[in-house]
Amino acid sequence: MSAHASHAPKRSGLWDWLTTVDHKKIAILYLIAGGLFFLVGGFEALLIRLQLMYPEASVVGAKTFNELITMHGTTMIFLAVMPVIFALMNAVVPLQIGARDVAFPFVNALSFWLFFFGGVLMNTSWFLGGAPDAGWTSYPTLALNQYSGHGVDFYVLGLQIAGLGTLIGGINFLVTIINMRAPGMTFMRMPMFTWSSFVTSGLILFAFPAITVGLVLLMFDRLFGGNFFNPDAGGNVVIWEHLFWIFGHPEVYILILPAFGVISEVVSTFSKKRLFGYSSMVFATALIGFLAFMVWAHHMFTTGLGAIANTLFGLATMLIAVPTGIKIFNWLLTMWGGQITFPTANLWAVSFIPTFTIGGMTGVMLAIPPANYQYHDSYFVVAHFHYVIVGGLVFGLFAGLYYWWPKMFGKMLNETLGKWNFWTFFIGFHLTFFPQHFLGLMGMPRRVFTYLKDQNLDVGNFISTIGVFGMTIGTILFLVNVAVTAKSSKRAPADPWDGRSLEWSIPSPPPEYNFAQTPLVRGLDAFWIEKMAGNKGMTPAEPLGDIHMPSPSFLPFLMSVGLFIAGYGFLYHNYVVVVIGLIVTFACMIARSVKDDPGYHIHEDEIEDKGVKA
Amino acid sequence: MATHHANAVLPDEPEKATLEGKNKILGFWLFLGGETVLFGSLFATFIALRDQVNGGPTGQELFELPLVASATLLLLTSSMTAVMATQALHKKNLKQIQVWLTITVLLGLGFLGLEIYEFTHYVHEGHKISSSAFGSAFYTLVGFHGGHVAFGILWIILLQVSATKKGLTVVTAPKFYLASLYWHFIDVVWVFIFTVVYLMGMIGGKVG
Amino acid sequence: MGAHAEEGVRKPKVKHDGPKRHVVAFIGSLVLTALAFVAVAYDVIPSGFTVPFIIVLAFVQALFQLFVWMHMDQKGHEFARISIFAGLFVILMVVIVFVLWVWI
Repeated sequence: MSAHASHAPKRSGLWDWLTTVDHKKIAILYLIAGGLFFLVGGFEALLIRLQLMYPEASVVGAKTFNELITMHGTTMIFLAVMPVIFALMNAVVPLQIGARDVAFPFVNALSFWLFFFGGVLMNTSWFLGGAPDAGWTSYPTLALNQYSGHGVDFYVLGLQIAGLGTLIGGINFLVTIINMRAPGMTFMRMPMFTWSSFVTSGLILFAFPAITVGLVLLMFDRLFGGNFFNPDAGGNVVIWEHLFWIFGHPEVYILILPAFGVISEVVSTFSKKRLFGYSSMVFATALIGFLAFMVWAHHMFTTGLGAIANTLFGLATMLIAVPTGIKIFNWLLTMWGGQITFPTANLWAVSFIPTFTIGGMTGVMLAIPPANYQYHDSYFVVAHFHYVIVGGLVFGLFAGLYYWWPKMFGKMLNETLGKWNFWTFFIGFHLTFFPQHFLGLMGMPRRVFTYLKDQNLDVGNFISTIGVFGMTIGTILFLVNVAVTAKSSKRAPADPWDGRSLEWSIPSPPPEYNFAQTPLVRGLDAFWIEKMAGNKGMTPAEPLGDIHMPSPSFLPFLMSVGLFIAGYGFLYHNYVVVVIGLIVTFACMIARSVKDDPGYHIHEDEIEDKGVKA
Repeated sequence: MATHHANAVLPDEPEKATLEGKNKILGFWLFLGGETVLFGSLFATFIALRDQVNGGPTGQELFELPLVASATLLLLTSSMTAVMATQALHKKNLKQIQVWLTITVLLGLGFLGLEIYEFTHYVHEGHKISSSAFGSAFYTLVGFHGGHVAFGILWIILLQVSATKKGLTVVTAPKFYLASLYWHFIDVVWVFIFTVVYLMGMIGGKVG
Repeated sequence: MGAHAEEGVRKPKVKHDGPKRHVVAFIGSLVLTALAFVAVAYDVIPSGFTVPFIIVLAFVQALFQLFVWMHMDQKGHEFARISIFAGLFVILMVVIVFVLWVWI
């Protein structure tokens, strides 16, 4: 007991950030790193579209183009949007459930650094002989040594490292949500963003092992002479496709469910109405999560699985539209009769609804196996998934960022810049991707580095590229907004939006310990209930007392560096380096297990807002 | 701190006496759910590729049931002794925990020894990870399991050593409990390995 | 033996005393293992049935070990059960698909 009477270790600057285990700081780390990778992926997209702006252009050559499309997809999905999702989950979920941190703060930090180093490793390929060029789906036999360069090894190793981080992050949030809700917060009183995070974390837990296995098998084929995907020795490439998509399909629901959660929060707050049909929203989210695992072969209709397989998977896919439709109607009905205002967050959220619906609609079109034979590998598919990922997820992430920025940073993003950011990006987005539906229907294949003129593809491609300039300007405006906000001295109040859930009941940004006293939850929209009852804040569920916090640690950073080093060992077939890297990682694990973390106490008299809450 | 006798100060079921302990146990069960999918994917891949021997030896030609039966017996018994270690944990008797875990580790080492002997023998017979799709699938599935056994052994030894200094507390108790759960899980996986890989391999012929 | 396992599933126990259940599970596992090996080593079962037979034996043994040794039948293990069954469900689908739809 006396071992941990120490005060908060005073850390500052870079060392503070390298050793933090605080979910709020980890959220910011995820946001910055994810944001940087988003710029990298965006730049790759710009180059792709510049090359396709005119027929037979020579902005980049064919090999570079293949590297660009591979890295654009891989970076955007794994290194940009997923980290921003984790940023929001980290920033918001513990606050929404009335907790002081996640269940495993150390593991939380480890998740971040693993993602970071995995992403860095993958992107060093650009400077080390070429990026992976077999597509973000990396199908063998193209992805085997015989047909692709060293770059694919960076993909295989970088994703394994980053994927490990995501997997343990999923476990972390599951345990947090199950075990650490404030008293009175039953499952059916959790805010929708928390519910979405919960189901998403379940999807992560069961989907990521499949891709881990796939990547391991590909690694064995490429590095150790394995024959999983080598037809000459009895291997089977369809196995890769199955393993990849058994992961890949739940992955897209991992991407979109948090966005759905954001929309539920934002739309209801800015309609000044509780979410319509909460129970059916929860049910729909869970059903989507369940069905997510039963539809993967709709990415494989043309591989020759046969009519029975195609029918089963096609029907299951169309079924997912039902719970998704429930959600769309519930959002509309939430807005109906509400007092709607349109700060930037709500512009993003409301525009999500029709945009995602278009993407979902083309998804149902793709779900019909015979039609799929026509759409497959054409720009129709590219249009579909960008509508749902950009028009869906990215719009949702922007909404979430504008909404929760005050809570994370203590400042409100500038509304004027926000509106310019929104409109330029929104218009640019539709200009880019709407024509691509028709390009696909007119026969333009995907993943082609150029096309011949006078095939009716010129105008569509040209407009599509113009749209990218709009999105680029929009993105830059967002960055300008961030910078302007950072320099501004205007502080945000605890509850700028007249919110409904617990995160708005504490200061912006929250103190280190989040809640001076764990709140007592009396129902759904816990904070709103207290407001309607005339209370200024939440009723505490415990007396004021010393708060025990976990200690910061450098080990998560070091462990990730160890795997990073081992990754390079594998890349260059230097097994001494592999062993050194693994020893670093395992030594850190042993140190962590052997040396107990006593944490430190924040004493009662240091708790800032004592007296404000009874 | 009494480390050699039942510790009366320790609460019952000490592994769940703290929020940290409860979180760790839940987190570990979730991890095992993920491991189920991991091993399951390896199993599915093995089942799909088990007949692709590329002209090399088949399972039927390679596998020797007495060896597999011995390895199974060792691992199964080690899982039982791990149960006894958890019983000792609930009796708060560190010395007994140590005894049972030592036996568990020794049996586990025996299992690994047999497996290493087995693999070496197969390589001499021309069955390598690079010989065929069957070879790749076999060594990856069974090897990953063996890797898990090795990791478990190292983990248990580490816990045993650190417990001699720290004793049995509400902090160390969850660690013992988790290591035991892990050990049981890898025995459950082995049940499926000896069934699907070795026994079905001896029967030969296609599945389904 | 099957009834014993069912009883464990239907009535979650709060705590268990003593090693007796575990020793029973151990002996049960030994018997199930032996049965499987014998079924394969000697042609006691008609060959078409052998594979389903040993697979069923494997599942029964796995459930023994999960529910008895790993306390999955006890109160407080709801999410443990959900986790393992969800994993098994996913994997069941994967195995079925791999058996039916990998080779043409």
